[in-house]
Amino acid sequence: MKLIINDEINNLTVTTITSLLSVLEQPGKGIAVAVNQAIITRQKWDDFQLSENDQVTLFQAIAGG
Amino acid sequence: MTGLTDQEYMRYSAHLLLEDVGEKGQLALRNAKVVIVGVGGLGAPVALYLAAAGVGHLYLVDDDHVELSNLQRQIIFTQHQIKQTKVDSAKASLTQLNPHVEVTTFAQRLTLEKADNELANMLTQVDLVIDCTDNMPTRQVINKICVTQKIPLIVGAGIRMEGQLISFNAKQADSACYHCLYPFDETAEVHNCSTSGVLGPLVGVIGSLQALEAIKHLTGMPVSSFNRLMRFDGKTLQWQHLSVAKDPQCSVCSSNV
Ligand SMILES: [Zn+2]
Repeated sequence: MKLIINDEINNLTVTTITSLLSVLEQPGKGIAVAVNQAIITRQKWDDFQLSENDQVTLFQAIAGG
Repeated sequence: MTGLTDQEYMRYSAHLLLEDVGEKGQLALRNAKVVIVGVGGLGAPVALYLAAAGVGHLYLVDDDHVELSNLQRQIIFTQHQIKQTKVDSAKASLTQLNPHVEVTTFAQRLTLEKADNELANMLTQVDLVIDCTDNMPTRQVINKICVTQKIPLIVGAGIRMEGQLISFNAKQADSACYHCLYPFDETAEVHNCSTSGVLGPLVGVIGSLQALEAIKHLTGMPVSSFNRLMRFDGKTLQWQHLSVAKDPQCSVCSSNV
């Protein structure tokens, strides 16, 4: 499936956000995910089905100040 | 409520020229009570701009002392204030900037345990809280208090060359909260400015925007960062806007309707 992850085109065999993070070897610690500019809360990661051409934003929470 | 004095007309003349602020907005600022939690790289510009704008009562919460390494970005402090408490040093600067502003200081860390003290009492009667802290656990505490007390909250964060800004308003039923966005206490690494580094103007940009959003909120303008995470990349100057919806299962705000 073609996904645009942080502005880069990727072809990955994934279904949900959880499976995407696993394929990308992202532990998920301190990580937030947005699909098509909308944050997907953690509780939905197991169920949220990614679709062809989705724009995925993976980023870290930051707490500095 | 008395009107503006001649001195105030002159001091705030640039506000009075703005249709969105005017005398009504200036009086709203004068009547406002705003808490700034964390007087560091973000809290410094927030406190300076809000005092300059004539916010009537500022409450500063921070348990730290001024250190030499703070002066690279925490522009409210000066060399001779090293080792003094941050809140007292900031109060001195703010009072010099604008003697009309009342400043109350709390040289302590914000926790949920101290539920009966002066600080907790103060938090029941303020109009707005601005989160300028440097760690996740305190950010979660601030969020919990703001959800429970239904206080609008403007959150800023900055590290290295990256910044984030988002606002919540627990008075509104559809408001998300910080825990909807980040339902965890950890960050991927130990992310704070002393360990990871940061450019001074980066926290200056985010802090200035927190102050801007605060003034907009207090004068009745719509707050653009409400339920919207604004991510700023200091290297490319690019902004990314991500919407944040209230999580119906959020353990902090789901019962807040
Ligand atoms: Zn929530």
